[in-house]
Amino acid sequence: MELRKYILRRLAQITVIFFVILTVLFLLFRLAPGDPVSRMVDPDMTPEDSERLIVQLGLDKPLGVQYLIYLKNFFKGQFGYSFHYGEPVVDIIWARLPNTVLLFTTGIILSALVGIFLGKIASWYKGKKTDSIMTVGALVTHTLFLPWLALILIWIFAYKFSWFPINGMISEEVWLDPDNGFITKALDVLYHMVLPLSTLFLIHFGAYLLIMRSAMLETLKEDYILTARAKGLDEKMIRNKHAAPNAALPVVTSVGLSLAFSINGGALTETVFTWPGIGRELVFSVSQNDYPLAQASFLLIAIVVLLANLVVDVLYAYLDPRIRY
Amino acid sequence: MLMASLHFSVSKVSAADMLKMGVLQEPKTLNIWRAGDRWSLKILGLIYQPLYVRDPKTLELVPWLAAAPPEFDSKNLCYTVKLKPARWSDGTELTSEDVAFTVRIIQEFKVPRYISKWKFIKKIETPDKQTIKFYLESPYAIFVSRSLTTPIVQKKQWEEVIKKAKGTEKPLRTLLRHKVKKPIGSGPFTLKDWRSGAYIYVIKNEIFFGAGKTISGHLLGPHIDGIIFKVYGTSDAAILALKKGSIDMFWWGIQPGYMEDLKANPDMEVFTNEKSALYYLGFNVRKPPFNDASLRRAAATLVGEDFIIKRILQGYGLKMYSIIPPGNTFWYCPDVPKYGVGLSREGRIKKAYQILSDAGYTWKIPPIDNSGNVVNGDGIMLPDGKLMEKFTILTPPADYDPHRAMCGMMMQEWLRMLGIPAYSKPMAFGALIEQVKVRRDFDAFILGYGSLSLDPDYLRNFFISTNDKRRGWNMSGYNNPAFDKIANQSAKTMNRDERRKLIWEMQKIIMGDVPYMPLYNPKLIEAARKGKFTGWVQMLGGVGNLWSFCQLKPL
Repeated sequence: MELRKYILRRLAQITVIFFVILTVLFLLFRLAPGDPVSRMVDPDMTPEDSERLIVQLGLDKPLGVQYLIYLKNFFKGQFGYSFHYGEPVVDIIWARLPNTVLLFTTGIILSALVGIFLGKIASWYKGKKTDSIMTVGALVTHTLFLPWLALILIWIFAYKFSWFPINGMISEEVWLDPDNGFITKALDVLYHMVLPLSTLFLIHFGAYLLIMRSAMLETLKEDYILTARAKGLDEKMIRNKHAAPNAALPVVTSVGLSLAFSINGGALTETVFTWPGIGRELVFSVSQNDYPLAQASFLLIAIVVLLANLVVDVLYAYLDPRIRY
Repeated sequence: MLMASLHFSVSKVSAADMLKMGVLQEPKTLNIWRAGDRWSLKILGLIYQPLYVRDPKTLELVPWLAAAPPEFDSKNLCYTVKLKPARWSDGTELTSEDVAFTVRIIQEFKVPRYISKWKFIKKIETPDKQTIKFYLESPYAIFVSRSLTTPIVQKKQWEEVIKKAKGTEKPLRTLLRHKVKKPIGSGPFTLKDWRSGAYIYVIKNEIFFGAGKTISGHLLGPHIDGIIFKVYGTSDAAILALKKGSIDMFWWGIQPGYMEDLKANPDMEVFTNEKSALYYLGFNVRKPPFNDASLRRAAATLVGEDFIIKRILQGYGLKMYSIIPPGNTFWYCPDVPKYGVGLSREGRIKKAYQILSDAGYTWKIPPIDNSGNVVNGDGIMLPDGKLMEKFTILTPPADYDPHRAMCGMMMQEWLRMLGIPAYSKPMAFGALIEQVKVRRDFDAFILGYGSLSLDPDYLRNFFISTNDKRRGWNMSGYNNPAFDKIANQSAKTMNRDERRKLIWEMQKIIMGDVPYMPLYNPKLIEAARKGKFTGWVQMLGGVGNLWSFCQLKPL
């Protein structure tokens, strides 16, 4: 009963937060200098042409009216048309979202699995050479500048050795050949994923390694670990069965939230590798004052992150009945 | 194993006669009425064709879809254009009805970007399938160069769309939002496939009207099977792909910093061409201090053209002395007033000091001391005795355009040497345009046009007083009745030589009053791989042009 109340209270809070986000997003883009029409630096566009376009885009209406239309459309599930593409925003997002999810979700899961495993090892050998190498390695890769690392990987593995394509998600040669079936095309996507995935992996696994190492070191001080040792259990069993599952909780939380944010993509990764995802589109829409597209992209991120938070909170409350924030 | 299988697949389908071009972005739309970004226009330019195009050497207009130059009946203000026999890519005949229909769309929907070129047309007649008569309301000088270069669309493809759009609350919006999946054009190529975010594939239009014909001395193909445009997010990636051989040409201007590397590569052919471009410093002449032409002339005297060309553009640029680029040979006036040409930095400061002293400016610390030596000036006072307040030169940020941002910083330094309190301020491009073009709240700015029309009507557009309004092109607020009179006359003068005299006069007035101070015209550097294709046609604006695509041959 209490849990239900707790969930309802969290839902109410999330709804309020969401409305705040909805309003802030609307105002943020409108109050930023510039509009989509003033960017059109084309001497063939007369002032009258510009005004006509502003009317067509609905930007001639007072801000309050625009806000009401925005709210009304939101509740009707309409996100409008992109100013730049002239296409429904939903279509644009749906076309790019799977590409982003594929790359970034894979990247985060892979980084987390390796990070947790190595973090476990590093903590076990605390203060020894293995720990030092892993910790320093994790710190170095995690603090690398992503575009630099991406360009270096492209230069070595795509340009010098020609092992992988320079960028993109598919090869036109593969996709234009009618003889190629699903398997070949899927392999082609995987082939293109290697370098961006490696970049994401190298940047992110260090963070998980460090979190896991730190959590493990705390866990290893617990009494039940001492008890396990006193019982004469095998060291491997203590590490893998007793310490690691308990230490992994903070990492799992971090992974959960990272997965939620993964729909945001990464503008830098997507730009350097020309990965046709939502991150690049988000940056482009903001720079071009494409309000409907930018708003919808940010709203999508907000919804997923808020829901992910809710799920994590509810899970915590379920797992630990003492938790009632 | 994975790589091996994919490499096998690649080699299996690679076509030798397929040109692969790298682009930085994909088109935003294939709807010609909506297309405003250069990537959409580049691709659509291969599909939709105009009546007349520019000859690559002379830059004169030559008949393209038209069979001959337009005939002008000055009595009735009527242009008659005869069409070449041509077909749309779906096999149907291209007729005068299509041309008239295109103009009707523009006029009825007031399509932005096109309506300004067609609003002076009173009536259109199509006496037969091959003939169109355009009746003008009044003499309109740019009709041939600007209006008759409009791309023509197929009536069959657009008729239903237009009907549907007219029945909606906002017809123009409906027209602009119409999604075109497969544009039907009359150009040398037709769209085959578009994988968003990856590539666009156009193939040879087998029934292209120019195939095997000689137009303006050029024997046209296309001789290649098709073109694949591959999207690269950054120039770095595209240039690596070019060097590796993944693409045959990168269809974008290359920064001079890459030149040494590309020139040293034996597989690379580098092209350097002039652009019809103008990069300039604009003054707000509506308010002090730049409402005084003497100050503007003094500022122009301080501009170190050599420094800009040699250091900032690394030698890949041209000095600009007029608003019209020198490459536009017919309209460019070489006799405009010039400032500080050939002078050293010291000489420029002395000359600028003299201009300002003669105009009544004084200094707390003059930039020239009693012995005639140049020192750091300070505390410049306007002719009315008031201290000149600090002012800002707005520029785009360095990540948007390093050249303009650097020019802003140099102008700041050059002006400060004279004791003028200038501050260069880079700001986001959208915000800069808003401040200059919409709010008109600025002192000075640096902007540019990378691809100006070859018709010089923009000169009128930029400086006529009636365009000094919100979102108008007279951003400086220049107001000179003498200029307005000549500018209006130039727009109505149908005789080309007569019009040139007026355009020259306009350039002289502008460069005398200097509301805009031309800074430079960057050269366009492009690169292609040797050994696979030959026949790139160099012209103003680079080798990525219609003539090249119609003449390229596989080796």
